[in-house]
Formats: sequence, C-alpha cells, structure tokens
Amino acid sequence: MNPPVLSVRGLTTRFHNRAGAVTVVDGVSFDLARGEVIGLVGESGSGKSMTGFSLIGLIDAPGRIEAGSSVKLEGRELIGLPDRDLRHLRGRRISMVFQDPMMTLNPVLTIGEQMRLVLAAHGRIDRASARARSAEVLGRVGIPDPTARLDAYPHQFSGGMRQRVAIAIAILNRPAVIVADEPTTALDVSIQAQILAEMRRLVAEDGTAMIWISHDLATVSSIADRLCVMYAGRIVEHGPATEVLGAPRHPYTRGLLDSLPSQSEPGADLRQIPGATPSLAALPPGCPFEPRCGRADPVCTTRPEDVEAPPRGWRCHHPLGETAA
Amino acid sequence: MRDTPTGRFLAEFAENRVAAFAAVVVVAILLLAIFAPLFAPQDPYDLASLTLRDARRPPGWVGSTGIHHLLGTDSQGRDLLSAILYGLRISLEMGLAAGALAFVIGALLGTGAAYAGGRIEALVMRIVDLQLSFPAILLAFVLAALLGQGRGPLITALVAAQYAYFARTAHGAAASERQKDYVEAALSVPLAAPRVVLRHILPNCLPPLIVVATVQIAAAVSLEATLSFLGVGLPPTEPSLGMLISNGFQYLLSGRYWISIYPGVALIILIVAINLVGDQLRDQLNPRLKR
Amino acid sequence: MTAQLAHPTRDTATDFVRLDRVTKIFAPEVPLTRRIAGLFGAEIDLRILRAVDAVDLTIARGEALGLVGESGCGKSTLGRVLAGIHRADEGTVEIDGAAVADRDGRKLTTRVQTVFQDPFASLDPRMRIGETIAEGPIAHGLVRRREAAATVADWLRRVGLDPAFAKSFPHQFSGGQRQRVAIARALAMKPDVIVCDEPVASLDVSIQAQIVNLFLKLRRDLGLTLLFISHDLGVVRHLCDRVAIMYLGRIVEVGPAAAIWRNPRHPYTRALLDSVPKLRLAGAPTPVIPISGELPSPLSPPKGCHFHPRCPIAVERCRTVRPPLVRTVDGRDVACHLADAPTPAPL
Repeated sequence: MNPPVLSVRGLTTRFHNRAGAVTVVDGVSFDLARGEVIGLVGESGSGKSMTGFSLIGLIDAPGRIEAGSSVKLEGRELIGLPDRDLRHLRGRRISMVFQDPMMTLNPVLTIGEQMRLVLAAHGRIDRASARARSAEVLGRVGIPDPTARLDAYPHQFSGGMRQRVAIAIAILNRPAVIVADEPTTALDVSIQAQILAEMRRLVAEDGTAMIWISHDLATVSSIADRLCVMYAGRIVEHGPATEVLGAPRHPYTRGLLDSLPSQSEPGADLRQIPGATPSLAALPPGCPFEPRCGRADPVCTTRPEDVEAPPRGWRCHHPLGETAA
Repeated sequence: MRDTPTGRFLAEFAENRVAAFAAVVVVAILLLAIFAPLFAPQDPYDLASLTLRDARRPPGWVGSTGIHHLLGTDSQGRDLLSAILYGLRISLEMGLAAGALAFVIGALLGTGAAYAGGRIEALVMRIVDLQLSFPAILLAFVLAALLGQGRGPLITALVAAQYAYFARTAHGAAASERQKDYVEAALSVPLAAPRVVLRHILPNCLPPLIVVATVQIAAAVSLEATLSFLGVGLPPTEPSLGMLISNGFQYLLSGRYWISIYPGVALIILIVAINLVGDQLRDQLNPRLKR
Repeated sequence: MTAQLAHPTRDTATDFVRLDRVTKIFAPEVPLTRRIAGLFGAEIDLRILRAVDAVDLTIARGEALGLVGESGCGKSTLGRVLAGIHRADEGTVEIDGAAVADRDGRKLTTRVQTVFQDPFASLDPRMRIGETIAEGPIAHGLVRRREAAATVADWLRRVGLDPAFAKSFPHQFSGGQRQRVAIARALAMKPDVIVCDEPVASLDVSIQAQIVNLFLKLRRDLGLTLLFISHDLGVVRHLCDRVAIMYLGRIVEVGPAAAIWRNPRHPYTRALLDSVPKLRLAGAPTPVIPISGELPSPLSPPKGCHFHPRCPIAVERCRTVRPPLVRTVDGRDVACHLADAPTPAPL
C-alpha cells in the first residue's frame, strides 16, 4: 500500500488559561491515503474543527499543540515547523475551505487578483497565464462565465457561488490535502447537493485527499470513504463509512444515528441521547460518554483505550455487537 | 459569590487592584461627605463660631476656640478640613443629583427614540447632536448665569449640559438591542411598548450607560466647581469645593497656598478615583474586550 | 379585543388558521440624503421585495403544518405575519375566525405565540427565566402575580426542566435547555397556535432529537396547532401532518406529508427532496442530480412561474403565466401548469 499523504499521530491541543488547561483535541490519530475522503463527525465541542485547525497549524495562543503530537504531510513533519515554512505549505500542499467563505476571501480584491496572488505565492507566474489558470479552475467548480467573473468582487457573488470561489482557491495549486470545515452547512440543500457533487468529482479527478468536517451524518456519508466519530476531543470510533454507520460499535455513534428523524417512523418519538455534551473543562475521569450511556457500568469510569482492529477501531469498554463477558 | 450576572461582575471588577482601590476611595469619600458633621471639627456654616482672629492660619494651627486646624483656616477663620468635608458634600450632592437626573432623562429619550424610530427618532437625535456640538461648559455657564444662583438652577444647568451624552449612548445601545430576538419575542406576545422599552431594552443598555454615568458624575463635579469658581454656581453661604478654591485663589501667591490647594487636592482625588472606576467598568463592559 | 363572528359557512375544523391572499412587501426606506443624491443623478434602489406573494393557507385545529423552502423563500416572513409580528400588506390572517392583527398591524390576540430559532438570542439575558416565562401571562391577566411561581414551575416541569431553574439566568443553560425555556414561555400564554421558526436548526443532532420529542409530546398533551418552519426536511417529515413548500414568496405545493414524500407533484418539490443527502448505510454513495442553477434574487424574481429557469420540464406558458395553486385529483394543492400531466399512480 502507498504511504499515506497525511499521517496524524497523538495530536493533542490544549487551551491554557488561569483555571488550568482544557484539552480540545485529545490524542487524535489517523492516516489519509491519496484520493481518500475522511469524514470527521461530531457535535459542537467534539473537537472536530479544532482538529482541522491543528492540522493546518492555525492554533493561536492560549491554544497550544502539545509535545508528542505528530502531523506528517507527504512524509514531512509539520509540528514544530517555523511559521514561514508552514505558510509556504498552506495553500500549496494543504489547503482549507471554511463554513464561511469570507474567511478566505478578501472583500476588497477582485477574485482574479486574489487567485493570482495565491498562484504567485507558490511560484513565478505571469499575469496572462495566471488569469487563464484561474478561469479554468473557476470553470471546474461550476462558475458560469468564469473569465468575466474574475473581475468581480466577493460581495457580487451569492453565498453558494462564494463558497465555490473559496473551493477554487483551495484547489488552485493542486494541493495533496484539502481540509473542509462544514463547507456546506450554511448553504441551502439544493446548493449543498451541487457542491457535494462537484467536490466528489474534483477529488476523484485530481486524486486529492480530503478531510470533510461536519456535524451532519447524512452529508458526510454521501462523500466520505472513511469516518472518524469524535466526542469530547477524542475519536471514539473510526472505520469505513458504511461499516461505522451500518454497524456502529460505539454507543455514542449508535445514539447519534438513532436520533436522526430518518431512523424512526414519522410521528414516533425519536430515540434521543439523554443529557448534554459534557463541558471540556469538567470531563468525567473515564469514558467521556459514560454519564449519558445506557451500557455504562463501573468499568467505564476508567479511560477506555483505542481498540485498533484495522481498519476499524473504537474506544469503548462495552462495544455494541459483542456479548458482555 | 452567587452566580448572578451582578455577582460575576463584582468578582471580575475586584481583580483589577487599582480599580478596586479607587472604588474604596470613592466609597470612603462618599461616607466622609455624608457623615461630614461627625468628622468635621467645626460647623463651617455656623458663622457665630468663626473668629477673624483665626483667619488664614497655616496647617496645624490651634485656634482660639481650641480647635486643631489640621489643614489651616481660610480668610474667614473657617477650619479648612471642615470646609472641605462640607464642600465635598455639596459638590457630590450636585454631581450625583445632576448625573442621576441626566441619566434618567437621557436614557429614556435615547431608548425611546431608538424604539420609536422614524421621524421621532430623527428629531430627538438631531437635537441631541446639535447640543453635543457646543461645549458643555458654555451651555452650563449661560444657563447658570440666566437662571441665577442656587441649587435648583445649578442642577438644571448641569443636567441640560449633560443629558445629551446619556441620550446618545442610550440610543446607540438601544438601536442595536432593538434588533435582537428577545425584543421581538417580547413584542410578539404582545407586550406593550413602554414595558418592552423599560423592562427589556433599557436594562440591556445599562452597561454602556453606567460607564458614561461615572465619567459624567466626575464631569458634573468638576463642572460645578468651575461654575462656582467663576461665581455663577452656588451662593457663598454654601461653599462647594469650587468656591473654596476660588476663595483662596487671591492668597495663592502670598504664600498662603493651603486655602486653595487642599480643596483642589480633594477635588482631584475624587475625580481621579471616579474615573479609574469608570475605566475598569468600561473595559469590563466592552464586549469587544471580552475573553 | 375585537372578536369577529366566524363565517357561517366556514368549516372551523379545517380552517382553524386561515391566511387569505397574504402579501408582505419590504420596500427600501430611502433616507432624505439619498433622495437628494438622487436629484443629482445617483442611482436609488427602489426595487421592492415581495417576501410573501398572495399566499393562501389553512391549518386545521390540532394540525402540524410544516413550511419548508430555501433561504429567501419567505417562509420566516410568512410565519411572522401569522404570529402578528409583521403586518400583512394585503390579505387577512385569522385564527378561529378572529383577525390576528388590526389594520395598523397591532397584534390583537395572544392565541398565537412564537418560538424563535436561536435560543441564545431570544431570551433576555438580564431576566431570570422564571420572570421571562411569567411576564406575558401576568401582563395579560392570565395568572395573578402570586400564582406566577406555581405556573412557572408547572411549565418548566412540562418542558422537562427542573422547576428550581426559575431563579437562574439564561447564561447558565445550554442551547437545548434554553430552547425548552423559550417553548415554556410560548406555552405559558396558553396559545392555540404556535409558530416555530427553525426551532431546532441551531441545536446539535442529539439535542435536536430531544426537542423534536418535546414537540411531539406537547402536541399529544395539549392538542397544539403548529406552524413548523424549517429548512430541515427530515425534521418536518417527522413532525408534521401536512407540508407547504415555498419558493420565492409563493407556495408551490401543499399536501399531506406522506403523500408529498411518496409522490412530489411540483418539479421544485421533487428537486428539493432529491437534494437532501441520504444516510448511506451500505454501498456506494447514490449519485444526486442536483437542481441546476442558482436561486434567483427575490428582488427580481423570474416572470411567470418563479421556478421556470431551473425547471427541467418548463414549457412556454411557464415563462409568462403565473400558475395558480389548484387542487389536484389526489387532494393536493399544486401551483404548476403541468401538475396534472401523468404522474406515477398515487397510493
């Protein structure tokens, strides 16, 4: 098997303040192969977005990626890399798409100018070829009349079109990895469907690997090959998407699935997970899901280890699909 | 500390040592002013107890009536410490009364205008803007001169000069609160407009208004001092700090510095302390500085 | 309060809530300075937004009607008109035969209450939640002040919260708990109708399920009539008896939820349902053929049928004539010139 384009080991990010340290990403590990799409799913506070930010080195004080974390992009260690080198890699080998496209777009520059700057930052390129390349990429993400649109400003685009421009900028330099953080959450379903279809086509054509971060299981399942389910900063279950969703081993994954309206008869009570997501500042000592879990017993007050059964894994003392010992 | 917004607020305030100290100073001055008759060695308003023999004596002088004049005496033989304590009382009375009245009038005008919108809002706010374009001291001076001496006229002059600051601040805050869902929720019950303004919009506009209030109370105290110094404030029978400074002014160059300087120092301590408290409140209540 | 007599021939069971030709227009307010600039040749944008365009809608007593559509379709505005928050520029809104608002837009009734999308914004941060819940009922004389505490405790219990929370402030609660408080506030007014504007959109999946279950329970216990506005088709399908689909200010299809999901008649409904990503439990992702094109600006909607530029089956008539909302053979209302074209057999 080919070496992974992105290899993450024990990634841990903490926020330090007067009251102490809050662990927002807790020992996250996964490998991403060329052309593969991994879905990172979880609810708010699960650490999925923080994992994305940590991967691309966008953690600001008081946050800190802790020693012992390792993120290798095409064999090169990113943790501990000087900011200058990291900036050089961002946008060239690894790029990102955010929920709000205005996080990457500059409101006072034309789209063409912004795309030229991105191209120029990673290699000498003359204006004419920059324009040609930019127009080509805009066309690929489904923007009609791309050459004319190069002279437009971000505010002249609709929300969906703006997200396409952000995607175009992300793929401009043919990166190895794209980190997409809730890229369709703010969009209407019809636009979301268009963008999902285009992203799937783009990564398939270019062989780009992608990390798709979302809270929406249905969206993720329609694009991701593999899934990592996150809870309280940890990956609690991972594996091929259909296996994780079709035969979940962790009670939290099961609970998330069951709480979807599509999994119950219309009008029937949904099978809800009791309680609320725990505060990261006051996690239970053992399994973070223990207070909400129907299968919990005294063992669960100790921290469960990752059960690695390649290519599947889960962190649970009492996984589903096994009879209790 | 109970977990109420007020409780959390006080805890955070106490974290700034300087501001906490300033708050203690303000409270101490308030107590000294309120209980001035208990602390003052002499009743400065009781003209019968004054003797000209004790006039313009330096600090530490023991007067003919046996009073130890810690800060010296003024040109009428008044004990300066007593005069300052009573002066503080009058200055604070004027400052607080004017500040409170300006607060109420300004807050109601500002939030009311923001709620009403349209022509009413435009009219009220343009009047306020017009007034803010004149220096407060000018307006207060003209009004005080027209209305004559006395507490009523002085407070009127101070309020007229200051309500506009409250109105502008309240309007800005209320205009943004007006857009929020909780206001729409209250209106959709439906609840009456005055109720929504007073019970929902106004309380949420208080943070910036409190900041303005501290600054404006300090400003009112110094404005009153200035007016009294210029002779259009209170009558000489009720000497505020400004008048004490004014009284000693002519002796300043003849070496009898204490008659002007000590009231001045008292005024400065009061105003600096209030402003320090105001600064901390502003930092704490500014959402953009929130962690 | 002006109580109008119910229309004698009206079926009050099915027409409990009745919207007749309701139109809501947002016209830009041109400030004086801008008008002066206009005299010197500056461009003034005078385009008006027909957020709701001659909508007819009825809700039966005890029914949950889902109102779905994409952003800018006017579903929230329509909900606010029903809730008496916005004045209808044309048409009438009645609950049980009585107008919701007078001609100046003043709300006349407390029989319709609202639950808003964002529970972090819809609760007054400086008010204890007990006061928040009790304020309306006290102001309208539904409870006396000294009975308020008991009423608050009762409603907190019914929405699944500890009555001791009455003394707390909103910041002490999670999003799901705050939404429960907002629901309790609406219910404490003893309304017949509740307008829910995206009440679960800002909540996490697991919390969303709790709130959906709460709505199901409250419907069973209290026989509430609901207008449930949402862009989440899954939640609407689960909670609602009937569904209305809006596109650019107009209703394009109304009917029983099950029938619409089984056999959407309007091309937009069909496209919308197809766009929803399906949970993939096995096999490869099912390819979705998304609707082509962008949502047109509501400021300048296309002529004729608003959907025609994106419609795969549009004919010449769709470009010029607005299709009326008509009852089709299977008891559904569809606004499409081609709705009665042969479709897969119902049932």
